[in-house]
Amino acid sequence: MEKNNVIEVENLKKNFIVKQKEKGFKGSLKSIFKPKLKVVKAVNNISFNVEEGEMLAFIGPNGAGKSTTIKMLTGILYPDSGRIKVLNIDPTKQRKKLAYKIGTVFGQKEQLWMHLTPYDNFKFFGAIYDLSKEETEKRIEEINSLFDLSKFINTPVRNLSLGQRILCEIAASLIHKPRILFLDEPTIGLDPVVKESIRKLIKKMNKEYKTTIFLTSHDISDIEKLCKRVIIVNNGKIVLDDQLINLKKQEGTLEEIISKIYKGEKTK
Amino acid sequence: MLMEVKNQINVTLKSIKYSIMKEMLNKGTFLMNIFFMILNDASFIIQWIIIYNIKEDVGGYTFNQVLLLWGIAAGIFGVSRFLFKNAFHLSDFITNGKLDSYLVQPKNVLLAVISSSSDSSALGDIFYGYILVFLSGFTVIKFLLFTLFMITGAIIVTDIAIILGSLSFWINRSDILADTGNGLMTNFATYPDGIFKGSARAMLYSIIPVGVTVYMPVQVLTSFNYSMFFIINVITLILTFFTFFIFYKGLRKYSSSNLMFSKI
Repeated sequence: MEKNNVIEVENLKKNFIVKQKEKGFKGSLKSIFKPKLKVVKAVNNISFNVEEGEMLAFIGPNGAGKSTTIKMLTGILYPDSGRIKVLNIDPTKQRKKLAYKIGTVFGQKEQLWMHLTPYDNFKFFGAIYDLSKEETEKRIEEINSLFDLSKFINTPVRNLSLGQRILCEIAASLIHKPRILFLDEPTIGLDPVVKESIRKLIKKMNKEYKTTIFLTSHDISDIEKLCKRVIIVNNGKIVLDDQLINLKKQEGTLEEIISKIYKGEKTK
Repeated sequence: MLMEVKNQINVTLKSIKYSIMKEMLNKGTFLMNIFFMILNDASFIIQWIIIYNIKEDVGGYTFNQVLLLWGIAAGIFGVSRFLFKNAFHLSDFITNGKLDSYLVQPKNVLLAVISSSSDSSALGDIFYGYILVFLSGFTVIKFLLFTLFMITGAIIVTDIAIILGSLSFWINRSDILADTGNGLMTNFATYPDGIFKGSARAMLYSIIPVGVTVYMPVQVLTSFNYSMFFIINVITLILTFFTFFIFYKGLRKYSSSNLMFSKI
């Protein structure tokens, strides 16, 4: 059977130029007249594909290049070189066209208007994705029953708990039925109960709507309970691309195995 | 194409509506902000009353023309800040990676960002502008022209704020430069252009285009002039195209960030 890749990445590179400053006030003065610049290779020649309906964990230590990669895949950042195709669309050339087909949730950056209720936010998102009033109402109803938001759908977002807010963030990103959902640390700062219910929802979406899930997380349970395939990046390079089941065959707990890979140690 | 434009306008208007709703969360603060801004603006006109009691003409302007000058200046800054407040905070959006959530939406990033916040006190500036125009002598034509120039001026002021803010794509801490530039646009707009000579005057019709936002409209409102009317509208259009060009050129340099923030 022919594989249907929804994400294709080839030799992707992204460098950042970072100013280096010596310590103290003298260092600040020196950096004005003679700035020292350092090139940081955030993403260094990576290639991978993701199939339709896959649930992929894209993980790595802090500063490994996970977020930079997600940002290039979603059209937020321009790559220095390489080729990206998401649903056969080049994000650097057709950002808007791609945005109609993907959903994004950044655990650290909120997209909702804080003074509006989730219901009003969903209506606004409906307008952003060019849905008619009837379509938007229908989608809100569907999302409401899927996520069980009825208790707080009419409460301003600023008055919701962090868990309820993240739930609404995910719900808002689904208003247009995206084919791929990019989740950048969606469970950050949440309690175990909320984390579990979010995981269940992600699984449900994948099963019912065949939504491809591209997940980054530092939470091992997120990876263990959601994903079948794992890509580990470190220093901008892919150091492992394998099925989770194969990774688990190695000695130690999954957390220990992943930590070893992060540190560059050999695993058995 | 037409549908795309219609949808874009619809979303921008909704964004402006929600921004205003945020400002109206507290009725008392909302109304006080407007009232105190009118009071603040009115305090400046007192010095002009004193000056015109001593002199009949300042920089070629009569007192009524100064009223128009202040009316237009207050009106354009009011409209610009009321509808597009975040144009004046663009540096912060670029430097701190706040464009991310707008970039993943299938709409114009620039319009989405600048329309995502409003300043209620700016409504005081707009009311004050209309009060001064009425005081300078009301006619329907004057009212309509004033409204048009308030819009063209607001577009130019917003354009300049966006261009200055976009420098953050290339230059670190250019927010200071942007603040200074925006301040110059405000400060020069409140003096009759006749007091500026030579290179200062040339600057006001080029890099600090107060001439197009305020001085030329005052002249058209005083005595209608087709060519000046045409020039104001054409420059507004050209500058707006140039602004979008600069922003999108810079967007390719956007480096985002991992700072945590909320859309409050």
